[in-house]
Amino acid sequence: MLKVATTLRLVSKQGNQVRCLATAVGYKQALVNVPPTRLTVLNNGIRVASEDSGAPTATVGLWIDAGSRYETSKNNGVAHFLEHMAFKGTSKRSQTDLELLVENMGAHLNAYTSREQTVFYAKCLANDVPVAVEILADIIQNSSLAEPEIERERGVILREMQDVESNLQEVVFDHLHATAFQGTPLGQTILGPTKNIKKISKADLQAYIRSHYQPGRIVLSGAGGVEHERLVELANKHFSGLKNTDSVVELAPCRYTGSEIRVRDDSMPLAHIAIAVEGAGWTDADNIPLMVANTLIGAWDRSQGGGGNNASYLARAAASEGLCHSFQSFNTCYKDTGLWGVYFVAEPLKLEDMLYNIQNEWMKLSTSVTEGEVERAKNLLKTNMLLQLDGTTPVCEDIGRQILCYNRRIPIHELDARIEAVTAQNVRDVCYKYIFDRCPVIAAVGPTEGLPDYTRIRGGMYWLRA
Amino acid sequence: MSHVTDVKFLFSRLFSLKNGLNTRWGIRKFSQDFDKQAQALPKGSVSPLPPLSEPLTNLPSVIYTSAKSEDYFTEVTTLSNGLRVASEKKFGQFCTAGVVIDSGPRFEVAYPNGICHFLEKLSFGATHKFATRDVMLRELERHGGICDCQSSRDTTVYATSADSRGLEAVTQVLAEVTLRPQLSTEEIEAARQAVAFELDTLSMRPEQETILMDMIHAAAYKGNTLGLPKICPPENVNKINRGIILNYLKNHYTPDRMVVAAVGVEHGPFVEFVQKYFVDMKPTWHSEETSSFKPNVDKSIAQYTGGLEQEECEIPLYPGSDLPELSHVVIGLESCSHGDPDFVATCVLNMMMGGGGSFSAGGPGKGMYTRLYTNVLNRYHWMFNATAYNHAYGDTGLFCVHSASPPNRLYDTTIVIARELANMAGKVGEIELKRAKTQLQSMLLMNLEARPVVFEDVGRQVLATGKRKPPSFFINEIEKITADDIVRVARRMLNGRPSVAARGKLAHLPSFEEIQANMSLSSSEASPQGRRLNLFRV
Repeated sequence: MLKVATTLRLVSKQGNQVRCLATAVGYKQALVNVPPTRLTVLNNGIRVASEDSGAPTATVGLWIDAGSRYETSKNNGVAHFLEHMAFKGTSKRSQTDLELLVENMGAHLNAYTSREQTVFYAKCLANDVPVAVEILADIIQNSSLAEPEIERERGVILREMQDVESNLQEVVFDHLHATAFQGTPLGQTILGPTKNIKKISKADLQAYIRSHYQPGRIVLSGAGGVEHERLVELANKHFSGLKNTDSVVELAPCRYTGSEIRVRDDSMPLAHIAIAVEGAGWTDADNIPLMVANTLIGAWDRSQGGGGNNASYLARAAASEGLCHSFQSFNTCYKDTGLWGVYFVAEPLKLEDMLYNIQNEWMKLSTSVTEGEVERAKNLLKTNMLLQLDGTTPVCEDIGRQILCYNRRIPIHELDARIEAVTAQNVRDVCYKYIFDRCPVIAAVGPTEGLPDYTRIRGGMYWLRA
Repeated sequence: MSHVTDVKFLFSRLFSLKNGLNTRWGIRKFSQDFDKQAQALPKGSVSPLPPLSEPLTNLPSVIYTSAKSEDYFTEVTTLSNGLRVASEKKFGQFCTAGVVIDSGPRFEVAYPNGICHFLEKLSFGATHKFATRDVMLRELERHGGICDCQSSRDTTVYATSADSRGLEAVTQVLAEVTLRPQLSTEEIEAARQAVAFELDTLSMRPEQETILMDMIHAAAYKGNTLGLPKICPPENVNKINRGIILNYLKNHYTPDRMVVAAVGVEHGPFVEFVQKYFVDMKPTWHSEETSSFKPNVDKSIAQYTGGLEQEECEIPLYPGSDLPELSHVVIGLESCSHGDPDFVATCVLNMMMGGGGSFSAGGPGKGMYTRLYTNVLNRYHWMFNATAYNHAYGDTGLFCVHSASPPNRLYDTTIVIARELANMAGKVGEIELKRAKTQLQSMLLMNLEARPVVFEDVGRQVLATGKRKPPSFFINEIEKITADDIVRVARRMLNGRPSVAARGKLAHLPSFEEIQANMSLSSSEASPQGRRLNLFRV
C-alpha cells in the first residue's frame, strides 16, 4: 500500500514539471539552462529518471537501496561481494563475452558499494544505450555466481582490503564509523571482516539478492544522450520480470555514541585524525545550513601555498602557523543520521593547536558567525554544487542518488532558493543544535600522543561566555 | 547540561555497578549495551523549510531547455595586436574562460629552470587592479567562480569557471592575472615555500609518474627544449627572483603567443571584453620604448636525441600496505607532432597498447583487452604496471611505455617491454584495431563532456593552428585508420633510437645497448616466433 501511495505522488509530480514547462519567467530562464529531469514509475515499482542533454555520449546506471547498513554482523560484506561478482558472467553470457562486448563498444562498466547504496553504471556512446541497459539488467538479474568465481573473488577482495588499509584516510573514516555507530550496522565496514569474506557462500549472495534487489528499491537513472520515453521502454522490456517479494527489509535506526578510537603508531611521521559530531539525515532541512557551515570551515593543503587570505579562517590559521599538512571538512549523510566534522593530517607536535583552532571555529559557528561570512560561503557552496554537475556521469549519479534519498530530484532553482534562504541566524541555530555542547567522535591513527584526552576535547565543545 | 545524564540512565549505571561485583554477569558494561542514547539530538529540524524530500512551495515557475545537439561552431577573431579570441556555445549556466599561452619549461633554456613551476604557484595572485588575492577571489566568488592554472611542457593555461552572467568580471580577472600581476616579494616567498614543499612531497611519495615523465623527456631531448625539467630543480628554488620572472613574462606573455578562449558564451560580447581588458589596458611591463622591444624567445625545434637517464634511489613504499618495493622503467620512442598526418594513427596505436596497473580498479572498459594487458600483465604476474602514453607537441612527439616491478625482476620487465614495443611493427589484428578505434572515439567524446576539457581543446587547437577542428573531424579520421597505417607509424618510430628512463634500485637494469638490440626492426623480422622471453635464463 505504501508503495502505491509513493507511486501516485511521483506520478503527480511529473505532471507538475509539465506545468512548469508551460510558463516562463525571463530571469529564471537563464538560471535553469539545463534540461528537466523526468521521472516515471513502472508497474513493479522501478523508478526511471533521466535528463536528456542530447550529447553524443551517455551514462545509465542502477542505484539500489542496499549497502553494508542492511547487513548483520554475520553477513557483513555481502553487498560488496555481490558488486565484485557482477562482472563475472551471467546465465546468458560468460565473463569474457561480457568484457569483450563492453570493450568493443568503447564503453565503461563500473560498480561501487557504499554504506547505504549499491551502484552499477555504464558509460557509453548514446547509440549504445539499449545495449548498456540490457547488460545492466542482465548482471543484476542473472548473475551466474559460479562457485569457482566466488572462490577466486575472495582473494581479490582480501587484496582490495590491503589497498584500503594502505589508504589512511579510509582507515580513519572506517574507525570513525566504527566508534560513532558502535553496536549498529552503520559501524560495520563496507568490505566486511576477513572471516566473513572467507566464508560468504553462494546461498548468502542469493538470499541477499532476493531480499534487496527488489524493483521498489531500484532506480534506473540516465543522463546525456538518453530519451526518457526510450529509457522507460527499455526498462519495461528488461526489468518487468523483477517482482517485489514479501520480505520487507527493515531499517533499524542507528544510534550515535560520542566516543573515540586511537591507534597509536609512533613510527608514522604524521597523525591522521577525524573529529565529528552527529549530523543530519539526507532529507533533513538542516542539511543545507550544515553544508554552508561545512563550506565555512573549508579545506586546505600545504601545496596551495600561503592560504593567508583563504575564505576559511581555519585555512588561514593553518597556513600562517603551520598547524597541519592538510585538512578538509566533511558532511556525510545517511537516511536518518550523519557525521559532520573535519579530517586533518598533522605533525605530532601540532595536534593540540590544530584541534584548538578547529573547536574554536566550531564554537564561533555556533555563536557568532556573521552575515558576510555566510554570504560568501553560500556563493561558494552554490558554485561547488553546480560545477560538479559537468559531464554525463556526475549528472547521472546525482539523479540516482537524489531519487533514492529524496524520492525526487531537487530542481536546480529550488536548490538555489534553499541555499539562498540560509541566514547567519539559521547557521548559528543549526550549529548550536548539532555541535555546541555535543559529544564528539574522534578517530586518530599515527603518532597521537599529543592529542588531548577525550574529556578535554569534550570540554572544548562549549563556551561559557556564549 | 549535557554532562547531566538522564536520571533513569544514571540509575541503570549504579545498578550495573552493583551487579558488576557479581561474577555471574559480565564485569563491564559497554555503551552499546544500552539501548537508549545518552543525549539524543532533538527531533525536528531548526531550519524553517520543509524537508528536502518535499518541494518548496511558492517558487517562481521556470523554463527548462530542451535537448539539442551540441555541434557548436568555434568562432575565432584576431584582434589588432595579434591576440586571438576563440569561443564556443554550450549548454548550462556556467562558462569556462581562460588564457592559453605558448609558455612552459621548453622555453626556459636562457633562464634558470623552474620559472614555470613558480608561475603556476604565483597564478591568480595580487594584480594592479586587485590589491590582494583575497579581493580578486571575492570578485570571482560573486559570480560563483573558481580558478586554476596549469602548465605542461609547452603550454600554460589560466582557466576560470563561473556563472555566464559574470563574463565581464571574469575576463577582467584573466587579463589582470596574466598581464598585470604584482608579484610582490611576499608572494614570491610564499611561492618559493610552496615549490619547496612540493619537491619535498614528491620525494616522499610512492607515486613516480611526475618524476619519470621529466626523466624520459630529459632522455629523449637531452639538454634542449622539451628535455628541460618541469619540476623546479632544488638548486634553483632560491635562485629565482622577481626580476627573472618579470623578464620571462615580458618575453613570453606577448599577444601573438596567447589565445583567450571561452566555452558557454556569446562570441560578440566576449570579444568586446577581451579588447577592453587585454588590448586597451597594457601589461605592466609595457612602456614607451616597448615599440622597439623585440621579444627574445627560444624558437629552436626540439632535437630528439634518445639515450638513457637513470637514478639509483630508494622509492618510498605505500604506507601500511605490503606492496613490495618497486623499480620503474620507461622506454620511449620519437613519435610525431600533433600536426603530422600520422598523428591520429599514433593515437590509435597508443590505445591498442593501452595497459594500466595490474590491480587497478574499474570494471570492463578500462582496456583489459589491450596488448599491454593480454601480452604483458596477464602473462607476467610480477609486473605491477605497464601503461602506454603518447605525448604530442607542436614539432615532435614522444611515445612511451611505463612499467614497474620489484627490483630483482627489472631485467625481465625491461626486455619484455622492449620486445612488446618492437612487436608493434608486426601483425595487427582486425578485431583489436576496430576495438582500439572505437575506444579512442568514445574516449574523445566522453572527455569532451566536461566544459573545461572543451575549453582547453579549443584554446590549444587555436593556439597551434589558428582554428579548431570539431570532434566529428577526428571521429572520421580515426575511422579511416587501417592496419597498414599502424604498422607504418610503428616502423617509423622503431627506426629511431630509443630513450630510457629508470628510477629505483637499478642493479638489474639491462644496458642501453641490450634494450636497443631487443627493439631493432631487423631482430623482430628475423625471428618472428622467437620473441617470447625465456624466463628460465641461466
